Amino acid sequence: MPHALLIKFPGTNCDAETARALEAAGFTAEVLPVALLDESALERTQMVVFSGGFSYGDYVMSGRIAQLITKNKLGDRLRQFVDNGGYALGICNGFQILTQLDLLPKASLIHNTSGRFMCRWAPLKKNGGKVSPFLQALPDNFELPVAHAEGRVVTVAGDAAQYVKNGLAPLLYGEDVNGSTERIAGLQDETGRVFGLMPHPERFLSKAHHYDPDWSGAEQGWGYYFFKGAFETMTA
Amino acid sequence: MSDSPHAIFRHIPIRDLDADQLLALSQQMKLSLSKADMLAVQKMYQEENREPTDVELEVIAQTWSEHCKHRIFNAKITHTLNGETEVVDSLFKTYVRAVTEQIWKDKPNFILGAFVDNAGFVRLDDERAVCLKVETHNHPSAIEPYAGANTGLGGVIRDILGAGKGAKPIGSLDVFCFGPPDIDEKDLKAKDVIHPLGIMRGVVRGVRDYGNRMGIPTVNGAIQFDDSYIYNPLVFCGTAGVIPIKDIAKEVKPGHWLIAAGGRTGRDGLKGATFSSASLTADSHEEDQTAVQIGNPIEEKKVGDFILAARDKGLIEFVTDCGAGGFSSAAGEMLSEVGGEVWLENAPLKEPGLESWQVFISESQERMVLAVEESAIPELERLAAMFETELCRLARADGSKRLKVWHHGSLVCDLHVEKLHEAPRREMKGRWRTPAVKEPKVALKPSSWTGTLKTLLADFSIVSREPIIREYDHEVQGNTILKPLAGAAGDAPQDGAVIQIDGSSKLMAMACALLPELGKTDPHAMGRAVVDECVRQLVAVGADPDRLAILDNFCVGNPDDERELGALVECTKGMAISALAYAAPFVSGKDSFYNYFVTDEGPVSIPVTLLVSGIGIVEDAAHVVGSSLRKVGSKICVFGPTKRGLRGSVLGKYVSGCGLEAAPEFDEAEALERYRKYHALVKQGAILSAHDVSEGGLGVALAEMAFSGKAGIRADLDRVPAQVGCTAAEVLFGETPARLLIEVAPEHMEAARQAGLVAIGESTGEKWLHLTYQGNTLVDASVAELKAIWKAGLTPYY
Repeated sequence: MPHALLIKFPGTNCDAETARALEAAGFTAEVLPVALLDESALERTQMVVFSGGFSYGDYVMSGRIAQLITKNKLGDRLRQFVDNGGYALGICNGFQILTQLDLLPKASLIHNTSGRFMCRWAPLKKNGGKVSPFLQALPDNFELPVAHAEGRVVTVAGDAAQYVKNGLAPLLYGEDVNGSTERIAGLQDETGRVFGLMPHPERFLSKAHHYDPDWSGAEQGWGYYFFKGAFETMTA
Repeated sequence: MSDSPHAIFRHIPIRDLDADQLLALSQQMKLSLSKADMLAVQKMYQEENREPTDVELEVIAQTWSEHCKHRIFNAKITHTLNGETEVVDSLFKTYVRAVTEQIWKDKPNFILGAFVDNAGFVRLDDERAVCLKVETHNHPSAIEPYAGANTGLGGVIRDILGAGKGAKPIGSLDVFCFGPPDIDEKDLKAKDVIHPLGIMRGVVRGVRDYGNRMGIPTVNGAIQFDDSYIYNPLVFCGTAGVIPIKDIAKEVKPGHWLIAAGGRTGRDGLKGATFSSASLTADSHEEDQTAVQIGNPIEEKKVGDFILAARDKGLIEFVTDCGAGGFSSAAGEMLSEVGGEVWLENAPLKEPGLESWQVFISESQERMVLAVEESAIPELERLAAMFETELCRLARADGSKRLKVWHHGSLVCDLHVEKLHEAPRREMKGRWRTPAVKEPKVALKPSSWTGTLKTLLADFSIVSREPIIREYDHEVQGNTILKPLAGAAGDAPQDGAVIQIDGSSKLMAMACALLPELGKTDPHAMGRAVVDECVRQLVAVGADPDRLAILDNFCVGNPDDERELGALVECTKGMAISALAYAAPFVSGKDSFYNYFVTDEGPVSIPVTLLVSGIGIVEDAAHVVGSSLRKVGSKICVFGPTKRGLRGSVLGKYVSGCGLEAAPEFDEAEALERYRKYHALVKQGAILSAHDVSEGGLGVALAEMAFSGKAGIRADLDRVPAQVGCTAAEVLFGETPARLLIEVAPEHMEAARQAGLVAIGESTGEKWLHLTYQGNTLVDASVAELKAIWKAGLTPYY
């Protein structure tokens, strides 16, 4: 059974529900406060998860301090972990952290064009090209909740369009949600084992989580299939 | 002066002062103690044959403050109603505690705690209890809206962390009363007053930034806009929690260490308790800045994670938060039975050089105090390191019955714990005259009833709160089942929120209600109606009507004004009647006085404002009911009679004399029967959706149900069960309490009819609102057009 290690920084606040979602999909999940994090932790896990929240308050650029602390504690070991077949997932604040850890294609997450925090549901669509393990069990169009103030993906001119073309941006918004370039909602690395996204799959595990009581898109919530897809790939 | 650390304190001679000098001293030190209080203090020191230290006077002032001791709610009030005089021996005992005690006898296994702890508890299932606490942070929010609201929510979250041996916060609600956001700047009649728009934006962002960072979903709330709140905005913050039942009971015993955990202590938030126990003046905006605390939610998140981990390991004997009065009130409360010694030099400080009294009463945020066995300390230190929070040994309980406070070897405070808590009882006067009932003068014949409906949908009391709701993360923790906005597009209003609880098959509903417009003229009717609305909302969303708990939070202007205090007495009486009839116990509550402001043109008070918030147990996820239409072809039913009277209604703000000038009557006993029947139908799966009929009456409620985006409504208002003599205005826009608007699947209509529901129309595939009455079409408009008006109301301002 694959093991997921959720690193909890001061201010990380989606760790419990993310662990619950991972367990529902078949993983064993362990929430590890960053104070206890060292290189040896990577030896007992197949996936490192950066959950949502406001690590260290995100008073400077979101995810910045968490990234510095992670680098300081793990050095190149996280890179090696991924190179050796490990998975890394970042959700919301975790995506912001992952982006800065240089494990994903170069991009930044900055303030939404509205300048505001925004809690709503967003239509999403899979972008052809490389199939992500996290998206393989999902249909072409689905929706998930989003809740962020800094979710707009920006890149050096032209990179975003390139990511859409070459499949490094496997997840797009179905409409303009936050001003994200090319409507990018998630990014992955060349291997597909590193994935970061702004929406919150852990908040849509069952039908009851949908805002419409008559929603009948699938047996479970779309978020369940997000984690299940990764589980299936990892155990195939 | 030597450089070695030492206590900074002084003795203040009071034994030889006369009453006026004592009062002058109280004012000079900003103690907010009255002449009678100061005389009582003087007597205490004459008996002890010594002079107090400044630390002791500050401790007494905090402990005796209205904020901490609720002396007005415990006062003896001589109240005159319509010329008849009665004596109310404590509003709290008579109209709050007595109500709960009576209900408690019938529900001993449901109510698990009320009034003694930081929050009241009710049973969720065999192993867990849920709790709720609501606080106000009005004065701080008036002078510094962002920080005031920020720490208001931070403080109430700590109340939950400090409830029992530590409850887990699982949902928040916030309720605001602001001045109208469109008021002209020139109409503000005092210098430095912040425009309602500035207050609103600052307050919302303050709540957002604390709640979102803490990872607690803000799922419920309300906003009122009225001129009377321009100078005295009200900010209520509430948080609900869940706790294992075995962890509710807590006790401090001699030998326990008192460990302070969390943030450091600084000069921020000095004298908040006494500051909030006085009225605001224009000078407050300059002088009282240090009374507002500075929030740091990440500090609180760390200490919160630490507390819950320590609780689960059984390391906590007692825990409470540092709120008003800081260490003096937390340690004072914990040592109030046994006594003990405090060492202020052990508290980590934000900056050096604090005077002894400042360390002891500072309201610096994010601090909790735990009582623990000495043997638990090493494990606590390990957990604190893991969650990156700071601990110190602040005090030790010793059974001496004295509160001894040391600072660098000097004894700066030595008070008998019982005397400290014996504040003199206040005696006050109230009077009220029941407003006259007036027959309608003119029949309202608007050029277009549809136009009237549009006016109401655009009224600040009704328009969509969506721009604000979206700024709060209402889905973090992944448990929000009924969200504040739902329907096919996820943007239609709901009556309450429902949260699932980790590990339990049962869920918790949250709701709140306030009707200050009615309170301006008829506080007694408001007290009843507010309890009803909260209960009704909880029932509407699927809670069991026999398993609800409510909270009363009062905000009052000047309690020394007999009419204002009289309005409060009448409001409490009304509230008690309904709570008792519904067997909905008060499990916690709070009051805030002196919400008046001296402008250039004289004092402005708020109307007596009662917020009733509540939690209810939802037996099963299948019982959750939203307020948005779900199907085409359903029966649209009204449950509960419509009565004459437009007093306090939103329509009443625009027109007067077109309905009976009275608060519409309702009967709680009959209403409770209806709520039980409704709940039985919910359990049978007969109810598709339901909406409480409240502000804007049936017309607005019908429109709001149709905002789901799935269907329209065609209804004949002649079928609405209404009292003889009701005008069209009263039927369409009257706000009689205790009514529900219900969507019933056609196959269940017979059962619904037998329960007493009355079908007034159907949901239609055409997304149109079509209402007829006495052969005329009253309302004829597309749902999209109405919804656009309702949705756009706040967007220019937020």
